[in-house]
Amino acid sequence: MDVFKRLATWLGITNKKATVLCVGLDNSGKTTVINHFKPPQTKSEEVVPTIGYSVEKFLISRISFTVFDMSGQGRYRNLWEQYYPETEAVIFVIDSSERLRLEVAREELHALLEHPVIKQKRIPICCLANKKDLKDALSDVEIADKMELAEIADDKPYNIFATNARTGEGLDMAMDWLSEQIMTIK
Amino acid sequence: MNVIRGYKKDDEEGGKSGPFQNLEKSTVLQEARAFNDNVLNNKKCTLILTKILYLMNQGVTLTPAEATQTFFAITKLWQSKDITLRRLVYVSVKEMAKIANDVIIVTSSLTKDMTGKEDQYRGSAIRALCVITDNTMVQAIERYMKQAIVDRNPSVSSAALVSALHIFQRGAVEIVKRWVNEAQEASTSDHLMVQYHAIGLLYHIRKHDRLAVTKMVTKLSRSGLRSPFGYCLLIRIACKVLEREERSSNNMLYDFLESCLRHKNDMVVYEAARAMVNLSNITARELQPAVSVLQMFLSSPKAVTRFAAVKTLNRIAMIHPDVVTSCNIDLENLISDTNRSIATLAITTLLKTGNEASVDRLMKQITSFMSEISDEFKTVVVEAIRSVCIKFPRKHHILMTFLANMLREEGGFDYKKAIVNTIIAIIEENSEIKDVGLSHLCEFIEDCEHIELATRILHLLGREGPRTQKPYKYIRFIYNRVLLEAATVRAAAVTSLAKFGASCEDLLESILVLLERCLLDNDDEVRDRALLYMEVLKQKQKSLSSAFILNPISVSVVGLERALLAYCSQPNDDPFDIKTVPIETTPYNETPKSIGEVTTGGSVIKSAPVASKHDIFVEQLSAIPQFSKLGPLFKSSDSPVELTESETEYVVRCVKHTYLNHLVFQFDVTNTLNDQLLENVRVEMEETEGFSIISYIPIASLPYGQPKTAYTLVGIEDNTIVSGTFLNTLKFIVKDCDPNTGEPDDDQGYDDEYVLENVDILLSDHMQRIVKPNFAASWEEIGEENQTEGTYALSSMKDISDAVKQITGFLGMQSCERSDQVDHNRTSHTLLLAGVFRGGHEVLVRARLAQTGQVTMKMTVRSKDLNTCELVAAAIN
Ligand SMILES: Nc1nc2c(ncn2[C@@H]2O[C@H](COP(=O)(O)OP(=O)(O)OP(=O)(O)O)[C@@H](O)[C@H]2O)c(=O)[nH]1
Ligand SMILES: [Mg+2]
Repeated sequence: MDVFKRLATWLGITNKKATVLCVGLDNSGKTTVINHFKPPQTKSEEVVPTIGYSVEKFLISRISFTVFDMSGQGRYRNLWEQYYPETEAVIFVIDSSERLRLEVAREELHALLEHPVIKQKRIPICCLANKKDLKDALSDVEIADKMELAEIADDKPYNIFATNARTGEGLDMAMDWLSEQIMTIK
Repeated sequence: MNVIRGYKKDDEEGGKSGPFQNLEKSTVLQEARAFNDNVLNNKKCTLILTKILYLMNQGVTLTPAEATQTFFAITKLWQSKDITLRRLVYVSVKEMAKIANDVIIVTSSLTKDMTGKEDQYRGSAIRALCVITDNTMVQAIERYMKQAIVDRNPSVSSAALVSALHIFQRGAVEIVKRWVNEAQEASTSDHLMVQYHAIGLLYHIRKHDRLAVTKMVTKLSRSGLRSPFGYCLLIRIACKVLEREERSSNNMLYDFLESCLRHKNDMVVYEAARAMVNLSNITARELQPAVSVLQMFLSSPKAVTRFAAVKTLNRIAMIHPDVVTSCNIDLENLISDTNRSIATLAITTLLKTGNEASVDRLMKQITSFMSEISDEFKTVVVEAIRSVCIKFPRKHHILMTFLANMLREEGGFDYKKAIVNTIIAIIEENSEIKDVGLSHLCEFIEDCEHIELATRILHLLGREGPRTQKPYKYIRFIYNRVLLEAATVRAAAVTSLAKFGASCEDLLESILVLLERCLLDNDDEVRDRALLYMEVLKQKQKSLSSAFILNPISVSVVGLERALLAYCSQPNDDPFDIKTVPIETTPYNETPKSIGEVTTGGSVIKSAPVASKHDIFVEQLSAIPQFSKLGPLFKSSDSPVELTESETEYVVRCVKHTYLNHLVFQFDVTNTLNDQLLENVRVEMEETEGFSIISYIPIASLPYGQPKTAYTLVGIEDNTIVSGTFLNTLKFIVKDCDPNTGEPDDDQGYDDEYVLENVDILLSDHMQRIVKPNFAASWEEIGEENQTEGTYALSSMKDISDAVKQITGFLGMQSCERSDQVDHNRTSHTLLLAGVFRGGHEVLVRARLAQTGQVTMKMTVRSKDLNTCELVAAAIN
């Protein structure tokens, strides 16, 4: 594996590295999303609530991603900003079935966007309307509306995808979009 | 010596180079920003992290803000898979955890590493995880810890066991107790270290349950362990248990120790032998088997085994020299061992076990390589000489010469101090040799770089010099110090001179001349002392000289400072009263340790209390508002008295504190039942004549195993009554609780009580010991007009030395002028005692004892306070 990787880098096939921040409320499915992209032998069998953060690395369409998977629990949310300066993209995961806390999610997203470090950055924002399989789930359009994505500043490309992190449905499309954005911005 | 010098030199020069010299904290922290780069340079990061760790270990402190910032930068290094770097990250997380905020954020990263596939990460990740997890969060990692304890990888299992122990000791007791089954499983591991660590954890979990510990030791020893470390630990645990109880009641553990003497591993055998030697009250006969195995070790080809054996035998020789005699031939073979440490220990052991005739030969042998051994072992030699001195008083002269030679040679402070102590001890023991000893010490201070020793010797000269045949010959040595030394030594010399002036009339004029010269000294203290002494001496009044020169006040310096501060803080027209200042509780080392008390290689066997207990008590008691108006603490009883039988449900110990007009009883209570929570715990006392109960300060809540303190405040109503007996009952509310969590089952408790032993108040509780270096002078100072006298028949006392011990203890006073030492060949003895009675009244006692069939005593008590005089006299009846 390593040999291939080195060879690939040498040939210039994967020469891109991207640091990505994955945030969102607790229990929204961040760790599950990231787990989906990990190579089979390093996948965790069970996902437990994250305490603090965890770093994962994987390769998608020639980009080597380093993802900081943050904990969504209230007491850790103020620590997200520690990782803003280096980040080159944000994945914001939303539990589409949890109507009650959509408002909290909206506040957190906009607080992030208003943060001085993020504000002056030109980075893509990729929203995932996760858990679309649950029967209470709102559609991606409804979520986009409730989350007031239209308010996002013009310098930041954004998009929203309906996903099911357990099966992986929708995730590849989301990552393709993100990869493309990263390539064009750089 | 040359080698050492050469090394030192290299070291000094080398000290200025090195990659980490002259690092600047701010620069290094600046460099740490590289951790935030999106593309990490492993090599560079490793170096920077090493620098940070280096600085922290050099004592450079980071502010919480700096540490937190650096810590967050370090968290980003997790993206690197470089093993060296990651392991450094673990180490730094542990360091940062002490200062930085939010370290908990790495929990998930660490749990991922500890359960991951990379074995190199797992153990270290566990250790780091347990450091950052505070007691409230342990629950969150419990599952991982349980798994890790029984992990197949020994490094993981060991790390988990050791970390569990740390968590346990940090106070998360109940959670760790739930891991007992896993620890139990680990204790059967084939891996030596895992087994050792598991036993360690199990022991700590059960430590307070004596029965469970005994069971564990017997069970594990029966099933047989693979790990010799495990055996050594079991031996130590067994000793701890044996220490706390009568050995006869736990034969099983003792038999286990004995059986270990036959183990096939030398380490285990040695540990067992050493353990038996250290048991208190072990008899010579019981030591025999241990001595036998040590004797075998003496001829081992391995130097370390020989060393261990001879070191331990040396120790035995101090208490039971006869048992070691059987090893004399083997020890003789070691006196020329090329390992000089072994040779030294062999010789010093032989000095203690051999006969008088061999002393000269052994001393000669040791002289031949004295220059080759380190200070530490030279000190061992000095200690051995000290014990030879007790055994063979006739050898005092040759040993004194030997010591004087040692004193002239090079050596560090501890070594020189040991020599000086020994010389002083010999002087005290044998007055014939006093002159010679003092001369050696005079010679030593002529060229002594240790201020502490110089002042000590000057003090001794001031006390002993005037009592010798020719006091004048010491004056020159002392006055030389005034001319040549540091201010501290000059001040001590001035005091010493003044003592000669106060004691020897024919020297007075010359002393005054010398003191006058000191008035020009450039140090305040030296000038002040000289002036004071001159003025006092010029009065030519014995009582003044006694109070200001020969027997200076002996108040506690800390107490004096506190009293002066308090005095200054409140405007007050009354003059400061020195009697309100607490007396120095541990009298400064006036009589050095009797030469019977020996130390080995610097470690003291009978250790004297170091920290002042008095100051600790003062701090604890003054924190309690009810006691703040009682005035200064006068005295606390020496050792706590047990008010419960051993092995009962509740353990209560009592310490008595005496104030000017009050007594405070401190009850340290321990609840040994893990299924009970006690509340409102207090010790109710029954009033007795002359004393009244003022208030109780209960313990609000007393959970299992954590000792807490209740107090009772008692007023002293009648100053003519000093003794009484109090009947005590422990009263409390019991709530049954869950042994695992300590949570009470329900809120409703019931009242219960428990009868305790009585507590006596005696004269000695009102008396503080003080030292009078010159008793006769103080005696005259108080004068005949302030005395009472009486004659008593002491029928209950065996002989004079028994009487001396009992009277001293009973009155709670300090024996002076070595009058506690009784010459067994004589039928009469004079005991001189000094003390301060509650209220600050000095009191002196002269007891003339005679033995004619039974012991009789004529006791004279002097004190300027008549009541004190009478109380002391009456107390003897
Ligand atoms: N039904 C359904 N369940 C999901 C989906 N994604 C995640 N989950 C479940 O949601 C739960 C929480 O998932 P996590 O990935 O731990 O959530 P998180 O956002 O990482 O939570 P924190 O780490 O606490 O911030 C888990 O039980 C997942 O199995 C989804 O698309 N559908
Ligand atoms: Mg998570």
